Amino acid sequence: MRKRMSNLAESVGAVLLLQLVAGTVAAGQATPAQVQTGQRVFAAQCGFCHGRDAMGGETGPDLTRSPLVRDEAAGDRLRAVVRDGRVDKGMPAFRLTDADLTAVVAFIRDQKVKADSPGARRNVSTADLQTGNPEAGRVYFNGAGRCASCHSPTGDLAGIASRLQGLQLLQRMLYPSNGRGAKAAVTLPSGETIRGALAYRDEFTIALTDASGRYRSWPAAQVKFTVENPLDAHAEQLGKYTDDDMHDVLAYLQTLR
Amino acid sequence: MTTCTTFWRTCRRCGSAAFGFALAAGAIAAAQSGADGWTTYHGDYTGQRHSSLTQITPANVHQVALAWAFATGQPAQIKATPILANGVVYITSPDHVWAIDARSGHQIWHYGYPANEGFHIGHRGVAIDKDTVFFTTPDAHLVALNANDGKVKWNVVVADAKKGYWSTNAPLLIRNHLLVGVAGDFDNLPGILTSIDPETGRTQWVFYSTPPPGTAGNPSDGATGGQMWMTGTYDPQQNLVFVGTGNPTPVLNGPARAGDNRWTDSILAINPDTGKLAWGFQATRHDTHDWDAAEVPVLVDGSFNGAPAKVVMQASRNGYFYVLDRTTGRSLLTKPFATANWATGIDQDGRPIPNPAKEPARDGRLVAPDESGGTNYRSPSFDPKSGLLLVSSHDAYGIYFFRPDHGAYGWAGADYGVFGRSALRAIDYRTGEIRWSHELGEGASGAGVLTTESGLAFTGDTAGNVMALRTSDGATLWHSGIGRVGNSPITYQLDGRQYVLVGGGASLFAFALPETR
Repeated sequence: MRKRMSNLAESVGAVLLLQLVAGTVAAGQATPAQVQTGQRVFAAQCGFCHGRDAMGGETGPDLTRSPLVRDEAAGDRLRAVVRDGRVDKGMPAFRLTDADLTAVVAFIRDQKVKADSPGARRNVSTADLQTGNPEAGRVYFNGAGRCASCHSPTGDLAGIASRLQGLQLLQRMLYPSNGRGAKAAVTLPSGETIRGALAYRDEFTIALTDASGRYRSWPAAQVKFTVENPLDAHAEQLGKYTDDDMHDVLAYLQTLR
Repeated sequence: MTTCTTFWRTCRRCGSAAFGFALAAGAIAAAQSGADGWTTYHGDYTGQRHSSLTQITPANVHQVALAWAFATGQPAQIKATPILANGVVYITSPDHVWAIDARSGHQIWHYGYPANEGFHIGHRGVAIDKDTVFFTTPDAHLVALNANDGKVKWNVVVADAKKGYWSTNAPLLIRNHLLVGVAGDFDNLPGILTSIDPETGRTQWVFYSTPPPGTAGNPSDGATGGQMWMTGTYDPQQNLVFVGTGNPTPVLNGPARAGDNRWTDSILAINPDTGKLAWGFQATRHDTHDWDAAEVPVLVDGSFNGAPAKVVMQASRNGYFYVLDRTTGRSLLTKPFATANWATGIDQDGRPIPNPAKEPARDGRLVAPDESGGTNYRSPSFDPKSGLLLVSSHDAYGIYFFRPDHGAYGWAGADYGVFGRSALRAIDYRTGEIRWSHELGEGASGAGVLTTESGLAFTGDTAGNVMALRTSDGATLWHSGIGRVGNSPITYQLDGRQYVLVGGGASLFAFALPETR
């Protein structure tokens, strides 16, 4: 939903969020325009971590279940958290105007009202996901899943279960959309080869960020290039997992505390 | 009379005798859009979105350049099909209609619907009849506007927004019937299609795809939903409207509505004079993944297994392509066109058999397609010459959850997209084989497809390019980076110049060959 909502999903359901934005305003304090502004600010500033619907993202919790949101009287504390951040937990401070901050609070509250209302999408709890067999997951990880060809339980995945739990861990496992980036190598007509992090690619343009941090792009038809994307293996695996495999690997990852 | 074969609205003016001529000449099979107009959502009644225009060709399309652009200034992406009549383009986004000079992009008028709390998910476009423009609203009203100045003629309620209905629908005009669809997935609501008198706004009939609770003979097994939110197609000879219905509600809770849940996720044939169902075909029985079968039912007079056949075909959101005999609703062909892992086979009636293990569950099930589907509202296009249906397809996985305490109201579960890639696929309708596939990038494209008689196909990728491909093999011949295309392109010819109109982001772009003067 988060990935799709911006353009797709007539997917009627997929865009619950948009209805929310246009919909009810919590406790009658905020205007629909404020909620709408809040949604835009939230999507731009907060959505990457908390999900564009405020219901949890790659690294940030579901704000509709946050005590700060639940407690109306805590409005000032909520504002303070946004202003000052929670640097110890990895949340930076945000410099928002008073109006934008009010709008963001209105948006999160509105999301909470919608999340609690009949008919809304429902949450998934960590307890729901405990059907896998960790030993079978370990075998799959090292065998058919080929996970071990890129990942290590004592390397990049050490302590993963302490950092991510439940649905977030499952989503990250299936397709880590903020995982390691792709690498590109572009060979110019002169023969010079430039390497860097893939920055953009469509049918017509290839771009990378080179070693100096500079963004460079070329018409795809006028250069030769190769792209190495570690996420391709995740995309490919989606067609191979059985549901049991998926639950087993999750169970195994949960042992990596 | 020759225009009668190519331009249904002209035919309408000519009267029924002209229609008879047009049919005799094979208008449904030829299915060409008007040269100087695009007066209904699909361009004509067939839903083929195929234009007879040939000025822009595979040989010269590389010269195509911007003729004009129109920025709506709204945050909402354009999802609507532009409607063109009498040299004026009508384009919409939720709460807004603009009338634009089709030659210059100059705004003639703008209509803003009052602020409302309806669902602002998108808007598909207007319908037009003589000097009236018809516009549906997020709070499920139908507004009639004067085509000359955008002034309101009347405003009627189509469905109760307080119950959870909304409308994005581009109404379909058939004689004196304006067919208006609504949507509403977050509440358990009967699926309704309303026929409204275009002169007065009076309701003529209401068809229920899922009848209100308590209706005798209700075939839905307790399901609600099945909303008809997309514009249908029409066969004048049979006098039948073909319309796709949406998913059942509760959406992800299957146990609450054991059974097939007719007529959700179905292609229905309805008499536009009476609102009576002639036949129905269920694309997904007992859907638990939000796979509306609302996609365009495309009408083709062709051949099947060597015999002439009047068919209706649909590339459906569940990832399967269907061909039916449209006189009976009988299945001729069922075949996947996008990644699908939810069926164990095809039953004798041509319906995929849902795998119970892929129903949403407490611990999550990995399912393809994801909720946004193997395709969606974006229109396909049928090229009569090659017999190819070009479909913007999406190979995608999602995880689906349901546990009993999620309840039996509205969404009643949770699901999350995982990853997907898009491709334009050319399906041979006689075999269901994919003749070619052109990658469109990661994620889902919102772009529909337009084919032209010169052998071109216009569509958009997921990155923000509008492209012209060669219909026969999918080779790219031209592109322009205009921002993500969220609508289905149209084409028309004015003053001897062919334009292709397409939405990029919240702007409308008109492309044409360079002026010769």
